[in-house]
Amino acid sequence: MDGALIIAKGIHKSYPIGRGKRHPAVKDVSLELYKGETLALVGESGCGKSTLARILMRLTEADSGEIYFDGDQISGLAGRDFRPYRRRMQMVFQDPASSLDPRMKVKDIIAEPLKTWHIFDNKAEILERVKELLDMVELKESALERYPHQFSGGQKQRIGIARAIALEPELLVCDESVSALDVSVQAQILNLLKKLKGELGLSCLFISHDLSVVNFIADRVCVMRGGMLCETAETEELYANPRHEYTKYLLSSIPVVPGMQGA
Amino acid sequence: MSNTLLEIKNLTVSVEKAGRLTAIVKGVDIKVPQGKIVGLVGESGCGKSMTAKTINGILPTAAKITDGAVLWHGNPNTETDLARLSEQKLRKLCGSQIGMVFQEPMTSLNPMMRIGSQVSEALLIHKLVQNKKEARAKTIRLLDEVGIPEPELRYRSFPHELSGGMRQRVMIAMAVICEPKLLIADEPTTALDVTIEAQILKLIKKMCDAYSMSAIVITHNMGVVAQICDYVYVMYMGRIMERTTVKRLFERPLHPYTRGLLASIPRIGKNPEYLQTIPGNIPEIGKEIVGCEFCLRCSDDERACFFEKPMEREIEEGHFVRCHTA
Repeated sequence: MDGALIIAKGIHKSYPIGRGKRHPAVKDVSLELYKGETLALVGESGCGKSTLARILMRLTEADSGEIYFDGDQISGLAGRDFRPYRRRMQMVFQDPASSLDPRMKVKDIIAEPLKTWHIFDNKAEILERVKELLDMVELKESALERYPHQFSGGQKQRIGIARAIALEPELLVCDESVSALDVSVQAQILNLLKKLKGELGLSCLFISHDLSVVNFIADRVCVMRGGMLCETAETEELYANPRHEYTKYLLSSIPVVPGMQGA
Repeated sequence: MSNTLLEIKNLTVSVEKAGRLTAIVKGVDIKVPQGKIVGLVGESGCGKSMTAKTINGILPTAAKITDGAVLWHGNPNTETDLARLSEQKLRKLCGSQIGMVFQEPMTSLNPMMRIGSQVSEALLIHKLVQNKKEARAKTIRLLDEVGIPEPELRYRSFPHELSGGMRQRVMIAMAVICEPKLLIADEPTTALDVTIEAQILKLIKKMCDAYSMSAIVITHNMGVVAQICDYVYVMYMGRIMERTTVKRLFERPLHPYTRGLLASIPRIGKNPEYLQTIPGNIPEIGKEIVGCEFCLRCSDDERACFFEKPMEREIEEGHFVRCHTA
């Protein structure tokens, strides 16, 4: 691993909950995401993992704290100055159905970021790139002219991934990207993410509540609870040797699927 | 079998889609023995919820039972076909003898009603208590039993004042207040966090033991099956593909679909480079397949798989599989 892609220092974020009170969603979180690694944020609903990820991408502004992307401080950068960094970080969302525009054809959905950034001069080049991206996410070319509703959940998520990697980002943020999928399809998408990560040299922030999914995909894991990181460790170490009481509790709660010989 | 509480026989449910009937549950046979927990497992759209909904007659209006029977042996020496009961009779029977827990505790509780009145409502309707005072006492006792702290205070709470886990406990209390003989739990823990899930599963198991209830647990999670079920039915595209005891299923899964499903679950402690997958996607609902429903995604397909529907075969005692090659 060579250096940190994202460094966050002392991130704090709270939301107003009425009567002048504020609820702290993220409390004094500091973390580093190294180049080429998959860092997982795990925790139960409401623990602040999505808020933290959105802050790191600057989709939500933190109350205080500093964020560095590839060595440059990006917290506090104004719109125009921040824009070049936007394209270097992309997101894959949880619900593939609501994150694709139902009235756009697949080719337009995937081409949209390319057009926004004026990557190519003409339509033919854009189409070439879209085809290439479809191939990367293992969809057929016949998908081009179809609409999102004509695809299954897993295929929609592939389209979302193609859109996310269209600009060759350095960081891919996956917010519960496989949680809405059936097990047999979830495995396909997890494999795809792992493959793409290797091929494209992506760094990945993987948000999930599912500890067995995280175990498969992550290099390091941050366990969050109540807006704070309670444990950060290498994946193998965390599962073999959880230190924090909460991590132990989480791990003991997973319903175990009895092993199968030769699987 | 004398100790079978509920027997679903050759159940077929169809929906009308563009003017023609499409079967979404195809000839399903399920037996629920007294005091046992039966798991119905499968991926979305496989018909598991539809199957459960036929039991207490809450199928959506577009869906119809086109064949088969749902035989209820709840009362000694009688057999009632729930599929052919009038709505009134069904309601009387189901309300008190069959309890149901749904996936989303927020949408299945009435937001305008206090917890206490919701839970005790069924007691009063089915006249299982003499008066309101008795109903209240029983409700508070049960709220305590399902692990709700300060049940007297909570009796007067509204659903939005409770967390998801607490709401699901209220749902369970509501389902078992009339001491039903059968509990149907449709994805009872899917919307819950993993730590809460473990608690709720334990609670369901405890309530079944305490009231010698049978249960049907519908889930897509093999972990849930392993944790609380005694028997398991694996469904795919409206058909039961494999059925046996939970122990046998995990020791020796026979259907290629079951095997694929089990292999594609990421497991802690094993870290393969890539997960095993089932190729392809679940076909659209209503797609006509001549042969075996699973043939398009199956790894050991033979000629027969494409042209002939496999019959159910008993491979070992109590272990049934619908497959040509198993």
